[in-house]
Amino acid sequence: MRIRILPFLVPSLGLALLVACRSEGGARRATDDAAVPESLRYGGTAVVASIGDIPDVNPLTSTDYTANQLQMYVLFMPLLRFNERFEPEPYLARSWELSPDSTTLTFRLRNDVYWHDGVKVTAYDVKFSYDLARNPKTAFPNRGFWTHYGEATVPDSFTFQVRLEPHADFLDPWRTFAPVPRHILENVPPAQLAQHPFGTRNPVGNGPFRFVRRVPGQLWEFAANERFPAELGGRPYLDRLVYRVVPEPSTLLTELLTGRVDYYIAVPPEQAPRVQQSGVARIIDFPDRSFVAIVWNHRRPFFRDARVRRALTMAIDRQGIVDGILYGRGQVANSTVPPFFWNYDPEAGRDLAYHPQRARQLLAEAGWTDRNGDGLLEDAQGRPFRFVLLTNQGNRIRQEITEKVQADLRKVGIQVQPQLLEWGTLLERINKPPRDFDAVVIGWVTEFKIDDSDLFSCKKLDGPYQWAGYCNPEVDRLLDTLPRIVDRTRAKPLWQRYQRFIAQDQPYTFLYFVRRAEGVHNRLRNVKADARGDWVGVHDWFLDPSQRRR
Amino acid sequence: MLAFVLRRLLGAIPLVLGILTLIFLLIHLAPGDPTARFFNPNIPPEVIEQMRRNLGLDQPLHVQYLRWLASFLTGNFGYSFGQLRPIAEILPATVGNTLQLTLVSLVLIFALGIALGVLQAVRQYSWLDNVLTFVALFFYSMPGFWLALMLILIFSLKASQWGWPVVFPASQMVSVGYETMSLGEKIADRLLHLALPATALGIGAAAGVARYMRGAMLEVIRQDYIRTARAKGLPERTVIWKHAFRNALLPIVTLLGLYLPFLLAGAVLVETIFAWPGMGRLLVDAIFQRDYPLVMAASFVISVMVVLGNLLSDVLYAIVDPRIRTE
Repeated sequence: MRIRILPFLVPSLGLALLVACRSEGGARRATDDAAVPESLRYGGTAVVASIGDIPDVNPLTSTDYTANQLQMYVLFMPLLRFNERFEPEPYLARSWELSPDSTTLTFRLRNDVYWHDGVKVTAYDVKFSYDLARNPKTAFPNRGFWTHYGEATVPDSFTFQVRLEPHADFLDPWRTFAPVPRHILENVPPAQLAQHPFGTRNPVGNGPFRFVRRVPGQLWEFAANERFPAELGGRPYLDRLVYRVVPEPSTLLTELLTGRVDYYIAVPPEQAPRVQQSGVARIIDFPDRSFVAIVWNHRRPFFRDARVRRALTMAIDRQGIVDGILYGRGQVANSTVPPFFWNYDPEAGRDLAYHPQRARQLLAEAGWTDRNGDGLLEDAQGRPFRFVLLTNQGNRIRQEITEKVQADLRKVGIQVQPQLLEWGTLLERINKPPRDFDAVVIGWVTEFKIDDSDLFSCKKLDGPYQWAGYCNPEVDRLLDTLPRIVDRTRAKPLWQRYQRFIAQDQPYTFLYFVRRAEGVHNRLRNVKADARGDWVGVHDWFLDPSQRRR
Repeated sequence: MLAFVLRRLLGAIPLVLGILTLIFLLIHLAPGDPTARFFNPNIPPEVIEQMRRNLGLDQPLHVQYLRWLASFLTGNFGYSFGQLRPIAEILPATVGNTLQLTLVSLVLIFALGIALGVLQAVRQYSWLDNVLTFVALFFYSMPGFWLALMLILIFSLKASQWGWPVVFPASQMVSVGYETMSLGEKIADRLLHLALPATALGIGAAAGVARYMRGAMLEVIRQDYIRTARAKGLPERTVIWKHAFRNALLPIVTLLGLYLPFLLAGAVLVETIFAWPGMGRLLVDAIFQRDYPLVMAASFVISVMVVLGNLLSDVLYAIVDPRIRTE
């Protein structure tokens, strides 16, 4: 889960004020991408902006989503990258090979990649980084990558070999994990890596852009890496790439529309129409891997019965939430698997569509009926069905969801009291015992390699993310088996079963998967973004020659 | 005078230490944890534990307090958990940014407020006075963040859409490409970036000062010595500026000390809206991230500024009022 916390948000107000006003003919007609000849594409500064700073870009210590994007597409180079169909393709590695018994993975690296200080990138850098990432003292946040991985060796300067047990999506870590330069970090004790200036003041990478400077809280600046391998496209079109921090969304929208920002990361749904109507910028959007769900705390008696949880899902108009609160920028979810994944099962949860009458029936079957005629449901002891629905403050969408859920559930006789908590306080309440809460609206990001055991496994009942306290031995068996199956055709039916169990049991009410939107100024061309991330393809972005800033 | 300043400064030491101890306790007792931002399914609990050990958070509270106090008293603010940099490196730049914004606002507040107040007092009950009273009350009662958004809407977004000659930047302190500018362009660029946030921060307070100034002027104008001055046949200009104005300034000087902390607090919203990297935003972000060392350091700077602000207004008071100086 990577959620940025905003200190202050007054967006709904700001949005109401920034009234859409079409500029009349102010914008020049954007040039067609293909119409700009190759030779004219080079040059200029593109400005990317978002609401949060990137605290640290060191691949071994950073946890920030944008930092990881920079590691994959800007400053650094992982061994592999995903193509548009989310299949691995060579990047820093020219090729890879799995031994017939599936226990040794061999990467052959490119021999024409240099660190930005001029030193050649070798397999020793990869091994050095890998060893550090496995060292507990480093506190590498994604240690889970290496659960099934073993010792690494370097047969020659451009060959990296690592032992592993066969497991699903075993290549996935090599897509996001970017090696670091050994000659710079060699003598740093692992526990002090997080404080080393490499991550915050002076990163040396090997990617298409090199670090120029950083002003904390304001900007990161990068310049084209002239020595980027020609086979991978050579130097990027842009001369300079600047990342700016603008915490308030209304301000950020203004900066995009006045042309001081070229790429606005994650435009909120309510701003997207305004960008589209502006005539100076456009929206590029894609289905994302993050979802929002209501977690029912099964430790509370009224959420223990799966019939009740199914009834709750059917009583909530999820399509209404997508249409009304997200302005259509989302898709109803039924499990942790995004609809565009290979293992998605469209049948799971189909019977859970909005149906208040059916919800009332299910609740009655579970013993909840209106016994005293006050319009609210009571159980046999006469206790009313009433609970508190938490979410974090500062997030307009989640706040509106709690209100919508309150209204929907009131119609079937359940009383919901929404409550907003500051982020840190909310996490303390739901992550740590005694987990004193009824239900919470929360978001989560599904990785390309799905492993839900932290959320749903019986073995993790005391772990921080087992918010629901859900335990089903059959699901547990699937959670144990699935990560070990390498062959996707064999895994697919099991994934289907898994999703149907989750739909049947409804540990959460899954609300929707987000459709992420980027605001792109018309001068910035050749931009494509998808679930791989906001910065994918930054190497190919170019600025319309007639509209470049000085 | 010197003894007075020294006495006040010495008295401030236990005050500031007390404030800091209280803040230390409050922020540590608040629910939440600096490692909460590593909230991510890929991060196993052992890693979080190791991070806590790396940060020294596994120690009991009194040990943490004594450690913090020891390093603080030797002038070492420690390391920011959130920014992963020494705080000694973060603070000077941030304080500088805030002071830039705050001082420009202060000048705006007092210059504009005093000028309007005097004008209104001299033309009491004229249509100009009535209009200015209305305008002042309007700005005084508008929340700062609303004003900030309106300024952005009009002077940035609309200005660009309507093709005005000057479009004010809506965020940050300098433009992209600032380093390549000439000196003149650099100054102009900085002023352009300061214009909207300084106005948003100062205009409400300026309206307040105008009201005070008008009241103070009216009171002074009714005094016997003003009548005497007029009776002597002094020109009205001399009466107003030399005799009335200086005396009416006395209560305004006290406001200076009061506005300094107010500006720092009000700056949180304005800094967020205009993406101005100052103290207010730093402190609020640090609190949300439970970045304990940074919260302590930022609170220290703000309490010192408040103490100094109060001291400054006392000293200024003594300078403008000879009666106090002799005591």
